[in-house]
Amino acid sequence: MKRAARVAKAVLPKLLYAVALIALWHGAIVAFGVKEFVVPSPLAVFEALFSPAKAAQYAWSTHILTTLGEILVSFVFTAVFGFALSVLICWSSIARSIAMPIIAVLNSLPKIALAPLFLIWLGYGFAANVTIAILVAFFPVVLNTTTGLDAVDEDLLDLVRYLHASKLQVFLKIRIPMSLPYVLSGLKISATLSVVGAIVGEFVASSEGLGFLIKDSQAMMNTPPMFASLILISAIGLGLFASIAVVERVFMPWNRAAEAGSAR
Amino acid sequence: MNLATLAPRLKTPAVIVALLAIWQAAVVLLKVPEFILPSPLSALEHLFLPQPDANYNWGVHIRATLLEIGIAFVVTSVVGIAIAIGLAWSDAVRRLSMPLFVFVNSLPIIAIAPIILLWSGYGLATNILIAFLVSFFPVVINTLAGLSAIDDDLLDLVNYLHATKMQVFVKLRIPNSLPYIFTGLKICSTMCVVGAIVGEFIASDKGLGYIIINSQYTMDSPPIYAGLMLVSLFGVSLFALVGLAERILMPWARKGVEA
Repeated sequence: MKRAARVAKAVLPKLLYAVALIALWHGAIVAFGVKEFVVPSPLAVFEALFSPAKAAQYAWSTHILTTLGEILVSFVFTAVFGFALSVLICWSSIARSIAMPIIAVLNSLPKIALAPLFLIWLGYGFAANVTIAILVAFFPVVLNTTTGLDAVDEDLLDLVRYLHASKLQVFLKIRIPMSLPYVLSGLKISATLSVVGAIVGEFVASSEGLGFLIKDSQAMMNTPPMFASLILISAIGLGLFASIAVVERVFMPWNRAAEAGSAR
Repeated sequence: MNLATLAPRLKTPAVIVALLAIWQAAVVLLKVPEFILPSPLSALEHLFLPQPDANYNWGVHIRATLLEIGIAFVVTSVVGIAIAIGLAWSDAVRRLSMPLFVFVNSLPIIAIAPIILLWSGYGLATNILIAFLVSFFPVVINTLAGLSAIDDDLLDLVNYLHATKMQVFVKLRIPNSLPYIFTGLKICSTMCVVGAIVGEFIASDKGLGYIIINSQYTMDSPPIYAGLMLVSLFGVSLFALVGLAERILMPWARKGVEA
């Protein structure tokens, strides 16, 4: 019961805030007589999302599933391979000296500009968009995780060395657990970036997905599905972000008080 | 400057040169068809040789993209820092606005690009606006974080000395926030390039993003790579300029961490 009350206390103000914003939006549209091709009213957006006729016209489920699939595949790939590469970099100094300069250079490039290349290589559709999203989201995870694996108390390392810990033990019991805050803040950055990558990929080349729907509706000045897609995209992004926060609470119970927020 | 201090700085250029060399060698040795992957030399050639095809008037496109990135970066920095200082003026406003900015920053803002296009039509202003929206929030968040990350003892001291609020900001909070502001500006420098290029992908008849997307339609790959090289060069140069400004304005932090 107490828990429910706490949740309610945390959620209620945000809910009220959202309702107030929507009311403000609707009020502004009515008060200023804004045309629908400029900004649609919340009701029009709602209708575009939920009325059966419109829902069939825009094929929401296809577009949502496509975009969600792209985002999830690219995010999981980024998380798994980004983490593995970081462990490799931290494990072997040869891997580090080969990989780190390349990663630093690639990270500083505007990778999203590469999107049209993947179209040429992979053609329209799912694979190209997943690749673009991975490329955009991959490096922050690697850089953050490597920083975390390196940021270990030297005294602790000396201690376990004295206790004849194997390299594997050092990684499993010290480096990896200690790197978790860094890993998770890297994952939060890459959660947003993989959404960005997937959407831009769909802008550039796709015949499916919410990014495609936005661009397609823009060509016809049909704003309600554009705004509806934006809301859905934001919801997907926030959902991913929130699930990482849940993982954070589960895996790092000792860190509940300290909110490891990164300004990025 | 001796060799020992020079060596680490040469590392990045050396890596870039090495990567380009590997790329060139791979294309030549493996005989990769040009439409899949042109060699870096043929991409550069496309940039410097007089073009038979007037479609690629590089000067015009480079100017358009540079202008977009430059204006977007300056406007975002000035407006972002000014708004952050205004919000931080009152503690209550800062505490209320910070979560909102962090929230908006976690959204994929670039997705609204087509809506901006709908509102302001094709062209320079649209792309600048997209670049602004994409890079604005990191600047505000970092500046706000810097303005509030101040030693309480210092605040107590200047309060005891009857410092005005203006003095606290000018002498304490703003100088103290410089490292955070520069981190924000570095993110902003990358995001401005991203915003401008995505804007040009979606809506433009000018600029390097336009060349890249247009050449993709025609499978003419050397201009894509030439465009990519230029875009990367702009991004890295802007980043380096911010780094330079940081070194000049914060000489006390030379030994600080590189972002």
